[in-house]
Amino acid sequence: MILVVGLSHRTAPVDVRERLAAGADTLATVLARLARRTELSEFMFLSTCNRVEVIALAADQSAGDALRAIREELALHGGLSHDAELAPYLYETRDDDAVRHVFRVAASLDSMVLGEPQILGQVKQAYDAAVAAGVLKGTLARCVSRAFAVAKRVRTETAIGVGSVSIASVAVDLAAHMFGDLSDHAVLLLGAGEMAEAAARSLGRGARALRICNRSFERAAALAGQMHASAVPWDGLDSELAHADVVVASTASQTPVVTREMVKRAMKARKGRTLLFVDIAVPRNVEPAVHAIDNVYVYNVDDLEQEVARGMKAREKELEAAEKIVAAEVAEFLAWSRGLEVQPTLVAMRAKARAVLFAELEKSLSGRLKHLGEGDRAALQQMLESAVNKWLHTPTTKLKSRAADGDAETLAATVRFLFDLQEVSAAREADRVRAESDGRSAPTAGDEDERLH
Amino acid sequence: MRQVKLDFSDLLFGATALSYLAASALFIAFLVGWPSGRPQSLGVALARWAPRLVALAVPLHAAHIVLSSLVLHVCPVEGMHFAMSIVSMLAALAYVVARRRFRVDVVGAFVAPLALTFLLASRVVGAGGPPKLRSAVLPFHVAANLLGVALFTLAFAAAVAYLVQERHLKRKDLHGIFERLPPLEALDRAEHRFLVAGFPLLTIGVLTGTLWAREVEAGGAAEIARAAFGYVSWALFGAVLLLRAAAGWRGRRAAYGTIAGFGFTVLVLALYVVRDAMTAQAVAAAGALP
Repeated sequence: MILVVGLSHRTAPVDVRERLAAGADTLATVLARLARRTELSEFMFLSTCNRVEVIALAADQSAGDALRAIREELALHGGLSHDAELAPYLYETRDDDAVRHVFRVAASLDSMVLGEPQILGQVKQAYDAAVAAGVLKGTLARCVSRAFAVAKRVRTETAIGVGSVSIASVAVDLAAHMFGDLSDHAVLLLGAGEMAEAAARSLGRGARALRICNRSFERAAALAGQMHASAVPWDGLDSELAHADVVVASTASQTPVVTREMVKRAMKARKGRTLLFVDIAVPRNVEPAVHAIDNVYVYNVDDLEQEVARGMKAREKELEAAEKIVAAEVAEFLAWSRGLEVQPTLVAMRAKARAVLFAELEKSLSGRLKHLGEGDRAALQQMLESAVNKWLHTPTTKLKSRAADGDAETLAATVRFLFDLQEVSAAREADRVRAESDGRSAPTAGDEDERLH
Repeated sequence: MRQVKLDFSDLLFGATALSYLAASALFIAFLVGWPSGRPQSLGVALARWAPRLVALAVPLHAAHIVLSSLVLHVCPVEGMHFAMSIVSMLAALAYVVARRRFRVDVVGAFVAPLALTFLLASRVVGAGGPPKLRSAVLPFHVAANLLGVALFTLAFAAAVAYLVQERHLKRKDLHGIFERLPPLEALDRAEHRFLVAGFPLLTIGVLTGTLWAREVEAGGAAEIARAAFGYVSWALFGAVLLLRAAAGWRGRRAAYGTIAGFGFTVLVLALYVVRDAMTAQAVAAAGALP
């Protein structure tokens, strides 16, 4: 049974989340500690800024023990004396819901920013770490690698990842629509606010130059050092406006620092080349009248927020289509994994039939049919083999289809009772079949396109 | 032999028209955002085929022009209907050559339907009358003007797209067609380069036109108007280039200047078409006399 125990931005505040988060350095320790819990047969530990989760496969049918084990380990990892302290923040899902949860998380349907692409990479990292630690190799590994394929489907078949949903990405988009790529253009960061810094960072990545102009030159120089930019003095603003193509403004000034007159002068100096102001400051740093100057565009925080809201809304519209994909994939995965549950019964039934018939054949061949030559013996064997196959074909398909619907347990028990099939051998067979179908080639993060069955 | 050539030329005509038609349809579909459903990549993939279809049409179009002129025994630069077909072919060719470099695929949305129209027109409009007087200057005059007009056509298309983008940006409406057109600067740059390439050709065209007009001593009202419009378009394009270099007149002003200049060029062409039509009518009327 697949289980998920964890907490996320929906259930826990950041101070709880950060206590439980595991970085690259501590992940191995957490995995090793969880590996000692015999209640879990497979698991992985997913840790991002917004969520911490243990995704596991219970060792036997008792999910309760496995859930308790995970809770205890999480509390221990977070340095809490008792797992009850965590209880208000934790969510737990199992079975179908757990599979759906894993698929939704990977597809970024449960993210704080719907459709953000980072989560898939983070799930892949967690997956790789668990596979490397040898704690993820069977049904659960299959489930998670399937989640990658689901995420890819959702991304390509819906527009959940389309559109800008942050101020920084709207600014980048805007610049791209004006200048194409920025490799020939310069970005000027005016002031050193946090928001502007994020936008300038995204814009500066592809730009020819990134310059920072701040009232306090020291602050500008310090920030420039962090961002591979250069600092310019505040009184050089006029000449900077003549050179920069995108200006991100975020000073705390109460009056506009960029006036219409300044920009008019700058436009003369820059021979009319296009100039974009991204004014994130409140109160605004750039006089609104600047937008009316030819080839100059001023986008303030409201304009950008409006685009962000629009992007969010567009993504939410795609949610329904994405959930449909997830639902179909969950059903497919469950059908596959439930098929595994009746596999031991099917194998035992076949083995029993063959054993009985071939024992009889052996008896006859050493008695009344002793005179038969090699060719005839082989023909008889072949006949029995195909008789077994034909006879068991119908019960096999019926049992499998019932399994896919999720209610084969009683039927399988009846079959075992009727044919007197050994429980023990069935369980061993189950392991063998699992190992064969899952572990034959341990799925890797790259197995996204691999289909089930 | 002549019959076979004609059939092959018809085939080329059909193939060219179909390619332009398909390209135009794909461009228009792209601009209006069709297909709007998912997956999105379908619309993008379809749009990618539009410029390729123009690239396919250009050699077919060129072959058609050459072959048709052989069949009809006309110098391709003489009749206006033919000249227009050549202009549109040259515009399509310039587009195919320049689109990657300037990253202005969307200019094809104007070029493809234009080429289709002129190709069809060359078929429908009857052969115009030959020029009254031949001159050694004439081929230079016509060739330079045709190529020049082809380049101005592209500059015009880029200018229109620029104004659409500029309007959206000033109104802060960043959706719809805005998302599908090229970046503002790419359009401005492309428009400028097409003008820079076309202007010397237009200069040659105007100079040779002036010389020729002197030679034949043409003085009809239509001729004078044509020459005047020619000078105006030359002056406008020249002013756009000069003001851009000297006073930084870029973007919107340059786009308006380009559109105005192109308007006068179109007037010149229209006067030629009217002249041809009237000549043809006169010839027909003369033929009807006993």
